[in-house]
Amino acid sequence: MTDALLQVRGVSKVFGATRALSDANLTIHPGEIHSLLGRNGAGKSTLVNIIAGIYPPTTGDVLFEGQDLRPLNIFARQELGIRLVPQHENSFPDLTVAENIFSGVLPTRRGLVDWKRINHDAAEELAAYGLHVDPRTPVRELSSIDARKLNIIRAMHSGAKLIILDEPTTALTNRERAELFEFVRDLKAMGTAFIFISHYLGEVLELSDAISVLRDGRMYPVDDIEAVSEAHLASLVAGEEVELSRRRPDEAPPEGADFLRAVDLHSKDLQGVSLSVRRGEILGVIGFPGSGAREFCRTLFGIERLTSGTILADGQELHLASPAEAIRHGIAYISYDRHREGIMPTFDVNENIGISSYAGKLRRAGGFIDLALRRSLADSYRDALKIRCNSVDDDITSLSGGNQQKVIVSRLLNTDPRLLILDEPTVGIDIKSREEIIATVLELTRTGMSTIYLTNDYEELLRVADRLVFFDDGRVVSVLENKGITIDQLTAIRDRAKEAA
Amino acid sequence: MSTTSTSRPGDVAAPAAAEGRTAPSIARRALDFSMDQAVWILLVLAIVIMGIFKPSFYSFGILSNILVQATVLGILAIAISMVILLGDINLATVGTAGFSALLGVMAMKAGLPVPLAIGLILVVGSLIGLLNGLIVTKLRANALIATLAMNMVLQGALLAITGGKSITSLPATYKFVSQGKIGGFPALPIVLIVVFAVFYIIWERTRFGRGLFAVGGNQRGAYIAGIDVDRVKIGAYVVSGLLSGLAGWLLSGYMGAVTSSFGTTYEMQVIAAAVIGGVSLTGGRGNMIGVLAGTLLLTVIQVGLAVLGIQSTLITLAGGLMIFVAVLIDASRNLYNSRT
Repeated sequence: MTDALLQVRGVSKVFGATRALSDANLTIHPGEIHSLLGRNGAGKSTLVNIIAGIYPPTTGDVLFEGQDLRPLNIFARQELGIRLVPQHENSFPDLTVAENIFSGVLPTRRGLVDWKRINHDAAEELAAYGLHVDPRTPVRELSSIDARKLNIIRAMHSGAKLIILDEPTTALTNRERAELFEFVRDLKAMGTAFIFISHYLGEVLELSDAISVLRDGRMYPVDDIEAVSEAHLASLVAGEEVELSRRRPDEAPPEGADFLRAVDLHSKDLQGVSLSVRRGEILGVIGFPGSGAREFCRTLFGIERLTSGTILADGQELHLASPAEAIRHGIAYISYDRHREGIMPTFDVNENIGISSYAGKLRRAGGFIDLALRRSLADSYRDALKIRCNSVDDDITSLSGGNQQKVIVSRLLNTDPRLLILDEPTVGIDIKSREEIIATVLELTRTGMSTIYLTNDYEELLRVADRLVFFDDGRVVSVLENKGITIDQLTAIRDRAKEAA
Repeated sequence: MSTTSTSRPGDVAAPAAAEGRTAPSIARRALDFSMDQAVWILLVLAIVIMGIFKPSFYSFGILSNILVQATVLGILAIAISMVILLGDINLATVGTAGFSALLGVMAMKAGLPVPLAIGLILVVGSLIGLLNGLIVTKLRANALIATLAMNMVLQGALLAITGGKSITSLPATYKFVSQGKIGGFPALPIVLIVVFAVFYIIWERTRFGRGLFAVGGNQRGAYIAGIDVDRVKIGAYVVSGLLSGLAGWLLSGYMGAVTSSFGTTYEMQVIAAAVIGGVSLTGGRGNMIGVLAGTLLLTVIQVGLAVLGIQSTLITLAGGLMIFVAVLIDASRNLYNSRT
C-alpha cells in the first residue's frame, strides 16, 4: 500500500455550544475515492472545510503527504494540491472556458494577455481530460455537466492531488452523472484522490473505494464496502432503520376519474401537450431539461404562459395567470429551486407554513390573518411531518435542507390542494426526510389528491408513480402504466424518445 | 453475503447520546438582547447624558416638545419604511409631503372647506404614491432613481408655484391637531401614537403587512408562494404617499405655513430613523417598535443638541453623522445575525 496522502487524526470541532465533529479519523491514499455519506448537518461540510483550511479544528491534526497542515491557510493548502470544488458552480460565468481554466494567472506576451497561447493551451488541456468544448465558449453557455467537469479541470490545472467534490451530482440527470463518474475514474487512474460527498447511497456504492458515514458529528468507517448492503448503509446514515415508502400496486386509481385535463397546450416550450391526471393518481413525469416536462408543471401553476390550449379541472376551465390563482384553484407546486422559489428566509417556520394560505383559510375580514389558526396548523404539520426544530418560532434558515423542504411541503398542503406538483422534491435532502415526505404524499393521494411527480431519481419515481409520462421536444411522446418497469427500461424509453425526435 | 449480519460496520460503537445544542450562555444571550434592543439602549443613554449636561432637559416642556417634534419625523419614517421593507426605497416622502400640503392649502385659500382640503392633501399624497408604485412595478424602473426624480420634480414644483415665498395665515381649524392641546398636553403626539399603533397592527397581523415582509425577504419566493407581488408593492407606495401627505398636513399646521423649502430638514433623518430603528435596507426585516425608537432617538439627539446650544451651522454635519451611525448599526446587526 502506498503512503497515505491525507491523514485526519482525532479531529473535533466545536462551534459555540454545538459539537459539529467528534474525533474524526480519515486516511486517503493517492488514486483513492473516499465517500463521505451523511445527512445535512451530520458534519460532512465541517470535516472538508477543516481539511481545506477554511477553519481550524478545535482539537486533532491533519497531515498531507506527512506534512502538518495546521499552520497553513487555504491558499497554502491549494498550493500543496488540496482543492475544494463546491456544490454550486462558482466559476466566472461571463468569462470563457479558457479564462476559467487559467483563472487569475493569464500568460502574457509583452505585457498583454496572450490569447492565442491561452486558447491553445486550454484546448490541449480540455482534450487531455476529455471535455470536448471550445475554449472560447463563455462558461454561461456550458451544460451543467460540462460546467462541473470544468470546475474539476480547473482544480487539476492548478496541480490538485486531492479534490473534494461537494455533492457534485445534484441536479444532474442519470446519464450526466454516469458521465461525471467516468470522468472522475479517469482522473483517479492518473493518481488523483477524491473525497466525494453525497446523500445518495446508490451512487456512493457505485463510485467509492472507501466510505465513511457521518452522523451527528461522528464518523463510522465502513470496513468492507463490497459486503455492505444499501439498507445497512441507510440505517447507519439515519441512525435507525429507514423504511422505504412505496406504492402498492392495488392503489392505482381507476381509469376515467380525471381531475385535470390539459388539451393541446402550446407555449414557448410546449408544442401541443394533451394529458390528463386522474383523481388520487401519482403521475410520474420524465424528460431531459428543455423537454417540456418541467415547463408543463410550471404552466399548470401559472408561472409560464400559454399561447393556446385549455386546462380543465373537474370539467371547469381554468385561467391560470399567476401562482396565486393556481393555488386558489387547488393546484400546488413545489419548486426544484428551494432557495429562490421556496423558503422565505426572513420568516420563521410558522409563517413559512402559513404564507400560501393568507388568501385562503387563514383569511379573515378586514384583511386580517387568523394568527391563532396559523399557529395551530403549523404545529400540526410540524408533528405530522416530523419537522425537527425547537418550535415553529425557529428561523427557517436554522433548519437543515430536509427540514426546510418539509416546511415547504407543509405550506402547500396547507392550501388543501387537489393537485400537488412536485418538481425534484428530494434533491439535496437527506434520506429520512425524503421518505417522510414521500410517505405523506402517498397518504394524501389515498384521500383523492392527485400528484404530478417530476424527478431524475428514477428509483424513487418507480417506487411511487402509477403512470409514467415521457416528454421530449415540448411533446408527450409516451404514456405507460408503471407495472414492472425497471430503471433500465425507463431510461431506454426516455433515450429512444430523444433519438427519435 | 447481502444480509446485514455479514456486513461489519455494525461493530462500530454506537455514539453516546449525541451532545445536542445546549442553551446559549448568559453572555451570549445578553449580547443577543443588546443587539436586538440597541436602539432603546441608545435612547436611554442619550436621555441620561443630556440630563447630566443640562438638568432642565427633564422638564415637561422639553420632553413634550420632543414628542411633538417626533410626530412628523415618525410618520415620515413609517412612510419610507413601508417601501424599505420591500427592499426598495422611496426618496420622495418629503417632496410628497410638501407638494400635497401646498395643493391643499392653495385649494383652501381658494375657498375649499378645511376638512375637504385636508382630505385633498391625503388624496394627492396617495396619488403620488400610486404613480411611484406604477413606475416601479409596471415599468420596472429603478426605485432609487425614479423616486429621486419624483422628489426633485415635487420640490421644484413647490418652489416654482410659491415663487420662493411662504403661504401663511392658515385657519385655526386647519392647525387644530398640530398646535392644539388636550388637557394641557399637546395633541400631536396622540396622532403619533395612534399611527404607530395602527401600523403595528398592519405590519404584524394583516395580509398586506405580511406581504410586505414576504416580498422584501424573497420576492421570487413570495410570488411562487401565491403573493400578488405587484399589488403589495403598489399598495406600499400608495400608503407611503398617504402618510407623507398626512405628515405634510401636520407639519404645515405646526409651522402655520407652507414654505418653499418645506420639510427639507427631515430629508436625511427619515431614512436614518427607519434604518436605526432596524428596518433593513436589504428588505424583509423591521418592526414598528424599532421605527418608533429610531424616531425618538434622532429627535432626542436633535432637540438635545439645540438645548445644549450647538451652532445651527453644525446641524448638517450632525445629520450626516447620524446617517453614518444608522448604516454602521445596520451593518453590524446584519454581520452579527449572519454569524456562525
